[in-house]
Order: sequence, then structure tokens, then C-alpha cells
Amino acid sequence: MTAASLVFVVDDDPSVRSSLKFLLSTVGLQAEAFESADSFLCRKPADIPSCLVLDVRLPGLSGLDFQRELATRNVCIPIVFITGHGDIPTSVRAMKAGAVEFLTKPFRDQELLDAVRLALDRDRARRKHDKEVADLRQRFDSLTAR
Amino acid sequence: MSEPTTLQNDVSLKDSVPEGGASLESILCTEELLRRPSRPPDYEKENRALVRLVSALADSPSTIFHTLAETIEDITQCDSAGLSLLTRDGKTPHVDGQRFYWPAICGMWGPHVGGGTPRNFGPCGDVLDHNRTLLFTHFERRYPYLMPVSPAAEECLLVPFYVDGKAVGTIWGIMHSNRRKFDAEDDRVMASLGKFASSAYQAWMHIEELKIEVADREKAEAEVRQLASGLEARIRRLVEANVVGIVMWNLEGAITGANEAFLHMVQYDQDDIASGRVRWKDLTPAEWRNRDEQAIAEIKGSSIFRPFEKEYLRKDGTRVPVLLGGALFESGGNDGVAFVLDLTEQRRAQKDLQQAQQSLYTTQVELARVSRLTTMGELAASIAHEVNQPLTAVTNNASACLRLLTDRNLEPEVLRRALEEIVADGTRASAVIARIRRFIKKAPAETVELDVNEVIDSVLALAGHELHKNEVLVECQLAKTLPLVRADRIQLQQVLLNLVMNSIEAMTGATNQTRVLSVESRINESGDVLVEVRDSGTGLGSEADRLFTPFFTTKANGMGMGLPISRSLIESHGGRLWATTDSLHGAVFSFTLPAAGESPS
Repeated sequence: MTAASLVFVVDDDPSVRSSLKFLLSTVGLQAEAFESADSFLCRKPADIPSCLVLDVRLPGLSGLDFQRELATRNVCIPIVFITGHGDIPTSVRAMKAGAVEFLTKPFRDQELLDAVRLALDRDRARRKHDKEVADLRQRFDSLTAR
Repeated sequence: MSEPTTLQNDVSLKDSVPEGGASLESILCTEELLRRPSRPPDYEKENRALVRLVSALADSPSTIFHTLAETIEDITQCDSAGLSLLTRDGKTPHVDGQRFYWPAICGMWGPHVGGGTPRNFGPCGDVLDHNRTLLFTHFERRYPYLMPVSPAAEECLLVPFYVDGKAVGTIWGIMHSNRRKFDAEDDRVMASLGKFASSAYQAWMHIEELKIEVADREKAEAEVRQLASGLEARIRRLVEANVVGIVMWNLEGAITGANEAFLHMVQYDQDDIASGRVRWKDLTPAEWRNRDEQAIAEIKGSSIFRPFEKEYLRKDGTRVPVLLGGALFESGGNDGVAFVLDLTEQRRAQKDLQQAQQSLYTTQVELARVSRLTTMGELAASIAHEVNQPLTAVTNNASACLRLLTDRNLEPEVLRRALEEIVADGTRASAVIARIRRFIKKAPAETVELDVNEVIDSVLALAGHELHKNEVLVECQLAKTLPLVRADRIQLQQVLLNLVMNSIEAMTGATNQTRVLSVESRINESGDVLVEVRDSGTGLGSEADRLFTPFFTTKANGMGMGLPISRSLIESHGGRLWATTDSLHGAVFSFTLPAAGESPS
């Protein structure tokens, strides 16, 4: 697993945060944990492939509201939802809004790690695509009118 | 023939005398009697007549006036004979009467019986005024109202008669032609008959008085009879209607009569009563005899005994509950009557009511449990989250350890830290579970002495996650020394949790406000423990008075039973629960519980 990626964890429970960081570390993934959506927003965006492991039930802004908020801000970070009680309407909403996975606590470690990997791959692909588009645009812009 | 001339009123006829009416002198010829040749007295005939009058008086006093008139006619050989009596009302004789009436007339004037003349303007009046016998000729010349009375009176001999020295009437004979003239002998015989008339009058008056007396008595008796028969009919109706049992009895213990309703109650028949086999003392079970004695003592004192409930033994030995009240027929007597009401139905209804109340109570308890579970349902999501958090952490930590172990990369220090976290999270999860178990256990109400502050703490812990999640700041102002209360812990927890959850919900609705839940406990003026749960929501508004109505709810998924049940739970502990709106903040729900003993140290 490359070190050039970052997993963000947002959960209001300190035990869950620390155990997730521990679990991710066993596969060489670097993680940063936040207790609320607001505190995550205060961090400057990462410029390496990253993803978000997000609790649905949060104090203040809920996970789903936060997902919408990010979309509004044009922040395209792949999200893996985790929730204490997964109900179908909530998971459908989350997936439709572009979530990578919707996991019910407690989840199997492999499920989470697979989901995180998939999320990072997507982000990596998106970044690559964005970079190609940006390069093309740059080359196109550098062309002189003949 | 003309109608009898009567004057039905007291009109003064003097005013109506036509001008030029004949004078009294011109119609009188009394002196003629002495001048006319007189016939010899016929004593034998006179005696026979008097005997006839006396026997008539003895045998049929009511016809005495008629017999007298006949006698006058017979002895004087006149054409009409009769008598006039003073009266006030037109019928009954009266010494101060204003007119005369004719109770009996024989001969040609017979049809005019019942007629009469005025006291102050007529031949009879003239006779009383002169206080002597007068002989009139054609008196209609002075008294025109006699003109239609036909045939006209050629001569009329009138003799007054007296009672106790007062003139009360006249007897008279009339000649309607010149066939014969009255003479001195007629005058003598008439005077003699006048005396007789006086006794006849007295006898007649006496009879009238007797008649009145008898009539009065008969009337009174009839009234009594009618009243009695009316009352009797009503009583009989009551007895025979068999709406209530009615029994007649005596103090010795016998039953002298009973209606069907009573017999039906005790399952005896009329033959049993008639034969005297059934005695009320035997109908009474042994343990009720003392109560019977009380009633007997009461009835001897006041002639009645007030209704009381007892039992009777039926013929088959079973018992019937009854309500019994009665009275003696006569004060100090031996016989009486009682009404008896069968209470079997009432007893059954009472029992049904008790059962209904019991079932209502059971339902309330069940409802309280359901409501608790509903509150739990609202909490369920939050609790699942609360339990899942440590479980998730445990799983994550254990999985991570396993991975490191597989990679042979597990350092003891890392393992120790992970295991410590696993133990801590496991303990945390089991604590949550234990708390829920304690809460939802369907335990019967068990009142113990407990510290309200402790209950407040446990409920705030239970609702902790919900409070945290909704960013509710909790402010506790719990009295340091608070008396214990006698209460069921679970029920008290339920009430408090219900109030706390309501407050959280009320504040979640309000945005842009600091959410503060303030819980206060203290002793109030009455020495009771007072708990206030205050929120910073929007208050109760117009809904305050409906909050405690069952099934009233402001929540989309609420049952509307939380507050009504909370109130009944607090009330069942002898306390009160009410809601107010705080002037500064939102709603305040308060309840009191009576102090059980000394405050905990």
C-alpha cells in the first residue's frame, strides 16, 4: 500500500476513532481522525489521494447533511459511511449521492478495508483524470493562434 | 197559567210601586170578620185535623207544612191554602229574612208552591208588621206583582205565627170567588192552627238542622271514605305491582301477609304464609339476628326502623341480600309493614364494577409498560448507536491485532494497549446493556425509600447520548440534602426520562438557540420533594392545558400517552405533576413527591 494516500475518519466516539486508526495502520494506511464534521472542514484539503470514513449520526451536522455540504462546496472526496443502525432509506440516499459503501457497525475489518481501498482508487483515478484534463487544458491554452 | 211570582233579589219594591197604587187600608177588610155571621165551631173536625197534624209531625215531619196547608183548606173550606216562611236565601227559613217563600200550597194556587213575596212590600209583611190576623181583598191592587198569580184572590185570610216571640211566617187561606166569605170562626181556627204551625216550624227547623248536620257528617265521612279508598287503592297498587317486596309482620316474629315480589325473593308461596309456617325470625340467618334486634329496638322507640342491609334465607337454604325498612301500623302497636329490596343485582353490579376497576388498573399498568417501551423505542436508535460504538471499537481493535499477528508484526506494547481498549469498550457496552435491562424490566410496582437525586442521575446517564447528540447542555441544581421518597424506582425513572426526552424534542425544534436542559430538585414549602425539568424551547403556548389529555401529541410518532401516564404515576405516589411556561425559557414540567423520612446523610 502506498504511503501517498490519507484516510480521514469522522466519528464522535473516541474509541471508534482510535480503533479505526489502529486497524487502518495494520495495512499501512495513514489516517487522521476528527470528532465532528466541522473540525474536519477546518483542515485544509489534502493534495494526495484520500477518502472519508464518516459516521452517519454525528452531533451537529449529520453524516448525510455533511455529504451534501461537501458536494455543494465541490469537494469530491469519496465517502465510506459507517452507522450504528443502518436503515434502508438512509443507505439508499447515501449511495445515490455517490457514497462508496454503507457499512453497519460493527463491521468486518475486511469489508471496511476493501471499501477504503476502493475509495482511494476512485480518488486516485479522479485525480489522474483531473490532472489529464488540466494538462490538456494547459497545453490547449499554451497553443498560439496561428 | 202564569209562573209563580217570586222575587229572587233584594230590590226594594217600594220604589217600583206604580203611582196611584191602592193604599193598604183599601185592600184590608179585617173588621168584616166580626160583622159577618159566624158558623158554629166543628170541634170534632178540628180535633181530627189536629190529631192528623200531630201524627204527621211524628211520622213524616218533612211533609208537615203540606199537611198543614191541607188542614187549613179542609177546615176553612177555602179555595187555596198555604204558608209563607221568612227566608234570607230564598229557601232556608230565617227569622231576619228579607222575603217570604211558599214551602207548601194546596188548592188552586198549588202550582205556585216555591214562589213568594217581599218582606217589606206584601201581605205577609203587613201581617208581621201589624202582628195580628188580617183579611185582604184583592191585594193585587196594592201589590201589582201578584197580578199574574192566578186565579186572583177575592179574599185572603193571613195569620202570623211565632217562634220564641218572633214572627217567622204566616199561614193563609184564599177565596178566589164570592162563593163563601171568611168569618170569625175561620179566624179562631186559623189562630189555633197558627200555634200548631209554630211547633211545626220548630220541628222542621230542627229537622233541617239535623239534615245539615247529617249531610255534613255524611260529606265528611264520604271524604274520609274516598281518601281512605284512594290511599288504600294506592297502597294496594304498590303491593300488587310487585316492584318492591312488601311484607306485613308482627313483633312476635310472624308474617301476616306478603306480596309476590317478597315471596319470589325468598322462594316461598302464599300457602306458606297463610299456614303460618314462615316466620321472619326464621328467615334471618343467625349472624343477622342481632341486627334484627336493633331494628326491633328502634321500631319500639320511634315506630319505624331505618333501612338496613341484611340477608334472608331462601326456602332452599341459599341466601339473598336485601335492603329492608319498615314501620309499625300504629305507634306502640304490634303489627307493622316492611319493604324489602332484592340486592342481588346491585351486588353483582358492584362485583362487576370491582372487576372492571381491577381490569382498568391492569390495563393502565400494561399501558404504562407499553408507553415505557415506546419511550424506549424512541431511545432505541440512540441506544443501538451507544452499544455499537464500543462493539465497533472492540471489533476493530481485535481485527487489527489479528492482522498484525498474522504478519508476525505484533509488538507486545501495541497488543497490551489494544487489549486494554477492548476490555474498556466491552465493559462500556455491558454497562449500557445492563442499564437498559434494568429499565425495561416489567417489574411490578415496588415502592422503596429512594433518593430522587440518584434517580435523576441515572436517567440523565440513560439519556446521555441523546442529550449529547442533540447538543443539549445539562444544568443540574440538585439539593444536597433531600428527604427520601417512597416510590417505585422504575416508574420514577420512566416519568423523568419521559420529561427529559420531551424537553430534548422541544428544543430540537427550536433553532438558533442554546439548548439547555435544567433539572432542579429541592424541598418545597409543604416539605415535599419538588423536581423541575426546564427546557429552553419555545414553551407550551396554547397547548398547555391539553398536554395531559390522553392521545394528545405534538409529535409525528408520539402516542400521546407519555404525559397522562406520567401524571397518573406521580399521582399514584401521592404527588402532583404539572406544566408551566417559564417567562425566560421554555416549558417547565414539575412534580412533587411526599417526603418519606429523614434526608439522606
